[in-house]
Amino acid sequence: MTPTPPSPKPLLARFPAEVLAAYERHRTQGDPDAVQEVVIAAVIDYCPGRPNQRPPVGDSTRLIEDLAYDSVSIAELVFFLEDLFDLTISNEDIMQVRTIADLRACVIRKLAPKAPGA
Amino acid sequence: MSPWVTGVGLITPVGNDRASVEASLRCGNHGIAPVEFLGNPDLPVKVAGTIKGFAVDSPNWRDWAWPAGAAFPKEVLRGLAPHGLYALCAVEQALAAAGLAPGDVAEDPGTGLYCASAGSAMLLHHNLAMMRAVRGARGNPMGVVSSIAGTLNFNLAAHYRITGTVCGFVSACASSSHALGYAIDDLRLGRLRRAIVVGAEELNADSLLPFAHMRALSRQSEPALASRPFDRERDGFVGAGGAAALILEVPESARGQTPLAVAAGWGQAADGYSVAAPHPEGAGLLLAMGRALADARIDAGAIDHVSAHATSTPVGDRAEAVALGRLFGSRGLRPSVTATKALTGHGLSLAGVMQAAFCVLSVAGGFMPGNPHLEAAGPECDGLELPRRTVDRAPTAILSNSCGFGGSNVCHVIGTPGRFTG
Repeated sequence: MTPTPPSPKPLLARFPAEVLAAYERHRTQGDPDAVQEVVIAAVIDYCPGRPNQRPPVGDSTRLIEDLAYDSVSIAELVFFLEDLFDLTISNEDIMQVRTIADLRACVIRKLAPKAPGA
Repeated sequence: MSPWVTGVGLITPVGNDRASVEASLRCGNHGIAPVEFLGNPDLPVKVAGTIKGFAVDSPNWRDWAWPAGAAFPKEVLRGLAPHGLYALCAVEQALAAAGLAPGDVAEDPGTGLYCASAGSAMLLHHNLAMMRAVRGARGNPMGVVSSIAGTLNFNLAAHYRITGTVCGFVSACASSSHALGYAIDDLRLGRLRRAIVVGAEELNADSLLPFAHMRALSRQSEPALASRPFDRERDGFVGAGGAAALILEVPESARGQTPLAVAAGWGQAADGYSVAAPHPEGAGLLLAMGRALADARIDAGAIDHVSAHATSTPVGDRAEAVALGRLFGSRGLRPSVTATKALTGHGLSLAGVMQAAFCVLSVAGGFMPGNPHLEAAGPECDGLELPRRTVDRAPTAILSNSCGFGGSNVCHVIGTPGRFTG
């Protein structure tokens, strides 16, 4: 018997209610702005540093240079996004990601073939 | 040259700092509490040596809680197993006790790190189940370094930026005694001037229940009766989690610190007998004790206290009692023997360095813990001095025993700075 993949709710359990709501908007309506909100929440969550720190982030924020992401943090972030959105992000994909805007575009591109109702 | 112990850190079932652990040892207060694993009240494992003030049941570090005062960054926490958090807290304590800041050991080629743990069966299981759920397509990037048996070495060496040496030891319940022994050797050989020795184990269904399936655990539900080393009614060990850390330093490099105790010598030997059971006459342990005494350049008559490995299993305690009888009783020697696992339970890989740390407290505090759970000693203990209550007398030389699966036996001599010149 193949175990069922983890449902997104436990993955998002530690996030604020508005992030859960954004995920639901993405899931039910395919809202790309909602994806942005979830991606930013994940970037902040996996950002190195003290657990309660909240760095300022925007579209042009760079993961490595501005947020001190290292290769392991990036791998953790990618693993989380893959699990949450049930998609696969290759090493080649991630090598192209420098900013939050790049990451959001990457996730939306990967989601495109399966969006809404797929 | 015998290294000095200049710092101790303790996260144990009987206290999470030196003062509370010493008070528990002096008063005979145990840290064993009722437990239930996997929501199954029918399991025969009813009690364990639990760690208070921590919540680390979740496989996700984000759900953990630990005592106030320690703030660790995410990039440290993400690689840790539950017992890694205990170890980190113990090392922080030990460094502070030795008057060292983390920056003092960072990138210092004279500082080495010696670790022991069995890894995290819980995280291993959790991470592999996640991987299998997606048929191998992805997995937790920190899954390996947080769960396999070297997890303490990997994480602590990176966090403290250790450059002298980093290594790990896997000899089951003798693991952290091996770590301590090889740290002593590297200091004596002039390779290092300072060593951090740490052992840790977590306590959960995955770490403990497999021992119940070996029929190695006590089935007792009464916390004060479950761990009864050397008692004729003993019926198995009580599991425990926690961490213990020691800072060892070459005396000339000890920065004017007053030593708490001296790591005077150690010895090891193997049983060559069974994968899990000890040699029935404690042959390897007897040889290891003799080697430790020779290494410390003392004879058995100089030992005034023994910290026994005794875990409260029928065969293990018997083998150790026989070996102790041969070393001491047969020569009319009666050092005070204690088995502190009556109070803590058995910390597996952690046990050796936790015991060594307790010996350091005995030497520094001038007392020898008793055996408060002992009612009637088994017949194999005839001739052994097993005081029920703490002996308010300062030991000058303590022998501390550890035995692990596969017949691994390691003994340490820990003594006063006055007795052992360093």
